[in-house]
Amino acid sequence: MLDNFFVVLMVGLIFIVMLMLFRVFKGPTVFDRLNGLGVIGTDAIVILVLLGFLEKRVDMYVDIAISYAILGFISLVVIAKYLEGKGDANS
Amino acid sequence: MKFVALFFLLGGFFFTTVAAIGVIRFPDFYTRLHASGKGDTLGVAMSIIGLAIYNGFNLISLKLMFIVVFIFLANPIGTHVLSRAAYRSGIKPWVRKGE
Repeated sequence: MLDNFFVVLMVGLIFIVMLMLFRVFKGPTVFDRLNGLGVIGTDAIVILVLLGFLEKRVDMYVDIAISYAILGFISLVVIAKYLEGKGDANS
Repeated sequence: MKFVALFFLLGGFFFTTVAAIGVIRFPDFYTRLHASGKGDTLGVAMSIIGLAIYNGFNLISLKLMFIVVFIFLANPIGTHVLSRAAYRSGIKPWVRKGE
């Protein structure tokens, strides 16, 4: 019933991911790039679940979305703790 | 019930768009982190709640609500860790000119 609306929503979210790629490539500090990557990882969860609703196989895509959320959070925390106190504020 | 799901999906897309505009256009690292940390959390949570309402009441909706709870816990923790790492490596907060 809402399939065309889901397609429109997915196109809008992919456009937002493209805008975040601009911040990732341009960002003045390395933490700006990490912030853009975090936003991309959070929006990709919604894109995955919408793709599951369009393909009529939500039971598979929901598990992929859960594992993607956990992996994104752990990698963000690990890279942030690795860069903490390195002093490269201008790279 | 479909209209409630439509309302939640539109609200989630609105908040995600506002967070993206804030990340693109704010002047400092900490202000950009503020935009993404709050707007993106609420937007994604509202979108997934809308999808769970559209799906009905079964195991898949339970997994979707688990994703919502995990996002509400993990996204502010990630923002806080990133902000502390940036402050300890010497990024100065933005101030208005002339103060």
